[in-house]
Amino acid sequence: MTQDVEMKEQAAPSNSLTSSSPSTLHHLKEIASLIETGAYAREVRRILRAVRLTMALRKKLKPSVLSAFINFALTPGSEAHTRLSSYLPKEDEHEMEVDTATSASQAPAKHSLPELEIYCYLLVLIFLIDQKKYNEAKACSSASIARLKNLNRRTVDVLAARLYYYYSLCYELTGDLAEIRGNLLALHRIATLRHDELGQETLLNLLLRNYLHYNLYDQAEKLRSKAPRFEAHSNQQFCRYLFYLGKIRTIQLEYTDAKECLLQAARKAPVAALGFRVQCNKWAIIVRLLLGEIPERTVFMQKGMEKALRPYFELTNAVRIGDLELFRSVAEKFSSTFSSDRTHNLIVRLRHNVIRTGLRNISISYSRISLVDVAKKLRLDSVADAESIVAKAIRDGAIDATLDHANGSMLSKETGDIYSTNEPQMAFNSRIAFCLNMHNEAVRALRFPPNSHKEKESAEKRRERQQQEQELAKHIAEEDDDEF
Amino acid sequence: MDPQLVEVSQQFERFKAAFVRKDYDTCSNLLSQLKVSLTKFRSLPPLFENTPNANNELLLAREIYEHAVVLSVKIEDQDAFERDFFQLKPYYTDAGNRLPPSPQEYPILGLNLLRLLVQNRIAEFHTELELLSATALEDRCIKHAVELEQSFMEGAYNRVLSARQTAPHETYVYFMDLLAKTMLLFSSDQELLEYIKDEHPEWEVKNGSVYFQKAKESAPCKEIPSLQLINQTLSYARELERIV
Repeated sequence: MTQDVEMKEQAAPSNSLTSSSPSTLHHLKEIASLIETGAYAREVRRILRAVRLTMALRKKLKPSVLSAFINFALTPGSEAHTRLSSYLPKEDEHEMEVDTATSASQAPAKHSLPELEIYCYLLVLIFLIDQKKYNEAKACSSASIARLKNLNRRTVDVLAARLYYYYSLCYELTGDLAEIRGNLLALHRIATLRHDELGQETLLNLLLRNYLHYNLYDQAEKLRSKAPRFEAHSNQQFCRYLFYLGKIRTIQLEYTDAKECLLQAARKAPVAALGFRVQCNKWAIIVRLLLGEIPERTVFMQKGMEKALRPYFELTNAVRIGDLELFRSVAEKFSSTFSSDRTHNLIVRLRHNVIRTGLRNISISYSRISLVDVAKKLRLDSVADAESIVAKAIRDGAIDATLDHANGSMLSKETGDIYSTNEPQMAFNSRIAFCLNMHNEAVRALRFPPNSHKEKESAEKRRERQQQEQELAKHIAEEDDDEF
Repeated sequence: MDPQLVEVSQQFERFKAAFVRKDYDTCSNLLSQLKVSLTKFRSLPPLFENTPNANNELLLAREIYEHAVVLSVKIEDQDAFERDFFQLKPYYTDAGNRLPPSPQEYPILGLNLLRLLVQNRIAEFHTELELLSATALEDRCIKHAVELEQSFMEGAYNRVLSARQTAPHETYVYFMDLLAKTMLLFSSDQELLEYIKDEHPEWEVKNGSVYFQKAKESAPCKEIPSLQLINQTLSYARELERIV
């Protein structure tokens, strides 16, 4: 559950990057002007870009830069200005004053856009979280959320979605997630009423995360099934949604659906989001084991995951062999890992699969075997246990055999030639369907620039557009790296 | 003491007296009165207002609902059990940190697990299980239900049957009996004959033994499922055309 938190804390030590503060401030000012044009032209796209650019600057944020920027962007003396300044440590009075003087002269009162105000909140909040000042961050985020409730502008939505995320994050870091549940629900309602789909998506994920943090699977599923669904706006949010959905499905024993969700989440997640992918893989492995599949060795050998997946590798091994004793010892050996991953209860469910695999192995190797031997091989307590377990396995179709009650033995039937049945054709069909579906989804996901078909653009315009597109592509790649 | 609280607790005493006497009709009547009076307390869920008597009221309400759950088992009413249990649950989850733990908590949670098992609501069973802490899982009553579920999944029905003798609480016996019934464990031949007449009239009873109809052998299908194949091939062609 804490994968993205972990990622952030790993990123924190590299804070020592020395950068000249004027250039950071300069960048921030550029971003501010981008937001301004975006707000005036009502172009959500520009604001999205501004947020992306900000993430690149994240590690360079310093109190002095921030307070200079706040002085630049907000009217000194306004409510937001005083509040935000109070969160920042005053370290270099002198430099700050100089900045205030220059920016105040350049910046008349025109900077009172709500987008800019919210953006300042976001900047300060990110800074506080990176500095691990969680209590200040909580106060700051609550203030920003209160302000957001009174704003109804489409151009704010993008910034708001980010603020929600950090709001929940700082409460999670202090372990008070339960406190904000009511607030998140209210925000989700507001976002729904305002048709703010990105906000809804983000808030739904935060709520699911909130519920799952306390293992409230029932509530999570009820909310999820009743919340409005629409096409995903952000890949990251969609990944998270799939992961949470996969977890819920696993708990509710819908393994086939769960497997699909978890594998898709792991595939869609950006390469840099290692913690998230590890988590997805852990759950996917267990679900596949519960389904009676044995994950391939390559799953465990993915780059950077070998160590984290080691307990699950040994577990898979025990299931594959069908050795109850080995299974028990593995479960015991890594019990702390499993309980911190919250997969302990799932592993208890696996015991049944271990017995099944063991039984299947026996039924393949012997055409006739006494139940006493079955009990001994599976290390079951009694022959009566063995008899009823074999009976259930036959009934469920796990093994093809008959029981001879009078002689106390199990008779396996000869396995037929699978290639004389429709089985291979069916398997082939499902693979073809998968590939075709993948292709169709890829086509559907293609995006085209608006108005491209209407007018022939001039050479200059085209050059400009191409440059922008390149920039966009670069930023998307970067965003994938640092968002998780 | 608040007069309202005194009144409710006196009524509850009468309920408990009737409960000990096993006068379940009086109990049910008193219980519905009690539930109505409980609605007047503002400190109870879902309001959770912080009134001066909040803790006493919460404690009393929790005990009343605990008794309600046990009563519903005694009068063998599964729907009432479910209703009462859901009313009781917030006292364990949401008010749990304010009140001293109840000795009845684990037996009742275990009982609920058992009910879900009997009603074959396995998904809910596991959802409830996730909410339990590691210490709760170690508890005798809850372990009983969890092990029962495992035996069920494995198919070790003989262990399910023997679990009836080791039921950790007298109330568990009711659900264990229901389990035994689903596994066709009858106490007399008469019961078996009735069951066959109602549920499986095709079974023959001759000379004190039951003859089952042999399941019709499914003839090995040598035919090619042509319609299905045509459909599939056509859909491939359509998709391919879209790609090229």
